[in-house]
Amino acid sequence: MLTFILRRLALGLLMLIALSVLVFVLLRLAPGDPIDAYIDPNVSMSRAEMAAIRARLGLDQPMPVQYFAWLGAAATGDLGYSIQRSGVRVLELVFERIGPTLLLMATGLVLSIVLGIATGIIGAVRRNSTTDVGLSVAAFVGISSPAFLTALLGLYFFSVQFRIAPSGGMLTPGAPFSVGDLLAHLILPAALLSIGQAALIMRYMRASMLEVLNQDYVRTARAKGVREFFVIVKHALRNALLPVITLIGSTIGMAIGGAIFIESVFNWPGMGLLMVNAVETRDYPVIMGATLVIGACVILVNLLTDITYAAVDPRIQVA
Amino acid sequence: MVAIALPRSNGPLARSLSRFLSNGAAVAGLMILLPVLIAVLTYDLWWPYAPNDIDLRALNKGPSATHWFGTDGVGRDVLARLLQGGRISLLVAGVSVAISLVIGFLVGALAAFGGRITDGSTMRLVDLCMTLPPVILLLVLASIAGTGIVPTIFVISLLSWPVLSRMVRARLLELRERDFVVAARGMGANLWHLLFRHGLPNCIDILVVYATLQIANAILLEAGLSFLGLGIPPPEASWGNMLNAARSTVVLEQYVWQWMFPGAALVLAVLAINFIGDGLRDAFDPRSDLN
Amino acid sequence: MRLRTLRSALVLTTTLLAPMLALPALAETGKTISGGFDVGPGGFPGNFNPLAATAGLTWLSVYYEPLVIYNADLTAIVGDLAQSFEISADQKTYSFKLTSETWHDGEAFTAADVKFTLEAAKNGDTGSVFAARLGAIESIATPDDRTVVLTLSAPNAGLLDTLTKIMMLPEHALGKVPPADLAKSTWWSTTPVGTGAFKFSQYVTDQYVEVVADEDYRGGRPAVDKLINRYFENSAAAVAALRAGEIQFTYVEADDVATFSGNDQFKVIEGPSFVVNYVGFNQEVPFWKDLKVRQAVMYAIDRKAIIETLYNGAATEANCGYVAAQFVPAGIEPYAYDPEKAKALLAEAGWAEINGDKPITILTYYNNPLSTNVLAAIQAMLAQVGINIVPRAVDSPTYNATVLAAEPNFADFPLIYAGLQDGPEPSNINVGLNESMIPPAGTNALRIRMPEVSAAFDAALGETDASKRDARYQTVCQTMNANLPWATMWVANRYGVASTSLEHFVWTPAPGGGPFDADPEKWDLGNAQ
Repeated sequence: MLTFILRRLALGLLMLIALSVLVFVLLRLAPGDPIDAYIDPNVSMSRAEMAAIRARLGLDQPMPVQYFAWLGAAATGDLGYSIQRSGVRVLELVFERIGPTLLLMATGLVLSIVLGIATGIIGAVRRNSTTDVGLSVAAFVGISSPAFLTALLGLYFFSVQFRIAPSGGMLTPGAPFSVGDLLAHLILPAALLSIGQAALIMRYMRASMLEVLNQDYVRTARAKGVREFFVIVKHALRNALLPVITLIGSTIGMAIGGAIFIESVFNWPGMGLLMVNAVETRDYPVIMGATLVIGACVILVNLLTDITYAAVDPRIQVA
Repeated sequence: MVAIALPRSNGPLARSLSRFLSNGAAVAGLMILLPVLIAVLTYDLWWPYAPNDIDLRALNKGPSATHWFGTDGVGRDVLARLLQGGRISLLVAGVSVAISLVIGFLVGALAAFGGRITDGSTMRLVDLCMTLPPVILLLVLASIAGTGIVPTIFVISLLSWPVLSRMVRARLLELRERDFVVAARGMGANLWHLLFRHGLPNCIDILVVYATLQIANAILLEAGLSFLGLGIPPPEASWGNMLNAARSTVVLEQYVWQWMFPGAALVLAVLAINFIGDGLRDAFDPRSDLN
Repeated sequence: MRLRTLRSALVLTTTLLAPMLALPALAETGKTISGGFDVGPGGFPGNFNPLAATAGLTWLSVYYEPLVIYNADLTAIVGDLAQSFEISADQKTYSFKLTSETWHDGEAFTAADVKFTLEAAKNGDTGSVFAARLGAIESIATPDDRTVVLTLSAPNAGLLDTLTKIMMLPEHALGKVPPADLAKSTWWSTTPVGTGAFKFSQYVTDQYVEVVADEDYRGGRPAVDKLINRYFENSAAAVAALRAGEIQFTYVEADDVATFSGNDQFKVIEGPSFVVNYVGFNQEVPFWKDLKVRQAVMYAIDRKAIIETLYNGAATEANCGYVAAQFVPAGIEPYAYDPEKAKALLAEAGWAEINGDKPITILTYYNNPLSTNVLAAIQAMLAQVGINIVPRAVDSPTYNATVLAAEPNFADFPLIYAGLQDGPEPSNINVGLNESMIPPAGTNALRIRMPEVSAAFDAALGETDASKRDARYQTVCQTMNANLPWATMWVANRYGVASTSLEHFVWTPAPGGGPFDADPEKWDLGNAQ
């Protein structure tokens, strides 16, 4: 087991390096560099001035030199400074953003799990009833709607029209921190975020519940005269949840990357928004640093999932 | 090998078809999608307006007898743009899915049949592609490739093949050990033969289901890309860049027809394709007869 | 057992949903004005370093101040930290008499601070974007604590304009930082010290900046206790916050103005953008060399109709680089819409042979819905006379990289749709039109080599007699109008929207984000909400 973990960790490290090379090369292929992003085309700056700034940032060096300089610093934990924000360390910036993203994603996930599992059970138990068909159609519409459109409409109705939710951001600026304030800002984007995921969970839950309800042991329980309610809760639910948990687990790693559309419509200070801004402004150090941290998280989560599986399921051999 | 199964009247394919046709939602999906497809493909034969004709005297006019779905900010007919947008969105989705099918199948099949080293290295490549956060891949690829139809197709296909290649590999790994494949290998069949005579027919169900569901995803992805300004650039119409107009408060609030119709068309088309994909999945699943 | 978990989860969800039903109560923290001060083209969110500011100076001038500043109408440059200033007759000596003011940390503001700031701004190592523009300064003398004298190697008409953008920095806080480390310092966004009406209080990364009243400001203690500058991902988000009553001011896009007109809770502030929009002809592409073709483009575009319909009348037709009355001579060609004349000119030039209906890319960095519509209109109008253009909108970095590349591929931008700041200082457009400004010297990326135009600019820039300057720029306008280096389109208006609860609020859509004399100490929040 230990050798397995060590091998996977080493492999993960190699993949991180490969990832950083890939992103580094991709970035240099994209047209425009941080200095091109820095200047407003309406206000002019001469090429000599731009060249001086490039030289100061080391952007005039050959690519391998730049990459190894970055890698060397990164190995010591120094991810450099953001180019667009004066004097802000990339590491601090990224860690500042992970919290809000995780908060948003976790709340969205909890909402979607609660909603998805509850509606999934109802759909399976009342199979083919009006409720079931209604829920299924709603779930399909949820999966089929573009996230940015629901976000825009949600924002418009709840904060501009009815004024029952703030129009974006995470905290009321200038006000002292309070949990209520945070929740008020959190609930709308999290709820909108959960729509698609809830619909997906609901469909999986319904299908797996239906399958379980047809199994012999459930029939046996019914035959023994156990009340339907307990059949569902005690016997069926536990087994039906397994594939759903796998589904949920597989999405967590990706969640760290942030929900780009929701974050951008709601101005949520998370990783998605950070990335969008960084790419727009070609802020190389931020993009590299953020990718590295996200990549590390994804690899770690995948590793943990595999270890858990190996520990739980004796059929899976690790070596 | 699959040819043996075909001549029989109620072979697996025929059974799948009848299962599909008895699925109400799937048939409803087809009934929605077909008219949409026909309208999108033929609109220039029966609709008097062209998608890029401007009319500065009729800006932001609501739906009327002449402009059924109203006009947009430069007086272009919204219905004409919606239909042309549908053409572009469906074209982008269709082509990008076709490309990702080819890549996904080849990579998956190569990994399964190509031996231990090929398998290990291709699968690490797939892992790498899946580790790369989709957001960054999307943004960086889009800014390298630029905007336009071809780059958008490129970005979407590049994002969607890794999952498929995993599924194909899993299916074919199982197949590899079966007698007829072992026999074929023993007789010296080359890789090409293995891929297309044995691999492809045995993956066809995965490919069909994946293709349908992925088309739905690709339409959404195109819309999202265009919404971020990275997809199909105006003045070319696409459902995504028409929806982009809803960013402006005035359009969102006062010129509802400019985003509601393309939005509805998009949701409807994706919904229909999802229904069909779901129906296909059930139809190909031999266990579904048991329910 | 399981169901209980489920039920308690549902209860939890409802409690989580509950706060949505009540407006978050604003904590009582004194009078606070919130705004989106860095929204739109004049903003530069996330930049705290005035030496690196290519925009966003409207906000920075709330807590920093320059020596001299534009008045709120942008018609004249007046003293700010300089009580008064004098320019010698030969335009080579500038003397400034400083006002008495203290830095926010209590130290006195002196001539040494001015010298320190100007030297830092002149030194490219600090990351200053002003280094080249201050190159003409030969020496900076400080005869006493309240006097600064600049000596120039040659007259420089744009120097005062540049000085309005240079915020004074405290030598006692930054003097010990090596110039090369200045840009990286965390001082800018954590403990900056200025002389302005408000003191920097805190920055919550990418969310907002908060400043508080400076009790001993020389203009009097500010009327409100706090100013908050909120960051928004796009102007639509800012408009949503404004309408939700969370902020009192923001820049808005022209199309969104209609949402506010006729609403007595808001006041729309309108002003010229001082940016002239043009269709630029790449002179390295042979078929634009013929003046007749360029004239045909002018005649084929119905600018009047575009301004009336798409801009709702809020733009001024430009027949040369300027629209300001003092720079536009009488009798220049108005290029009124005339598609027949355009067709005739194209036929004369033999357009069918030199290009015909082959598609011509028009590159632009304008991505907003209005510009998209404008380009669609221009495309349709040019198509009618037989010129087939294809708009291609890219982001600014891509645009800059394409156009300003060391070895540009001219086929990537045979045409551009762009803008250049043409005021309040008229010499600004020289950099895009004068032959001497072909890269790497300047940003004449279209390789415009029109001797008449270049000569007119050179004459205007070298004019030391202030009374003759306007006439010189009229000549520039006249040569531009005749030679058409650009098909000039219009100068559009820009907008801000403020809540009517704001009193004594001064804002103008200044080009490049100002700064201008906005008297932030007088801004107040009335009770009308």
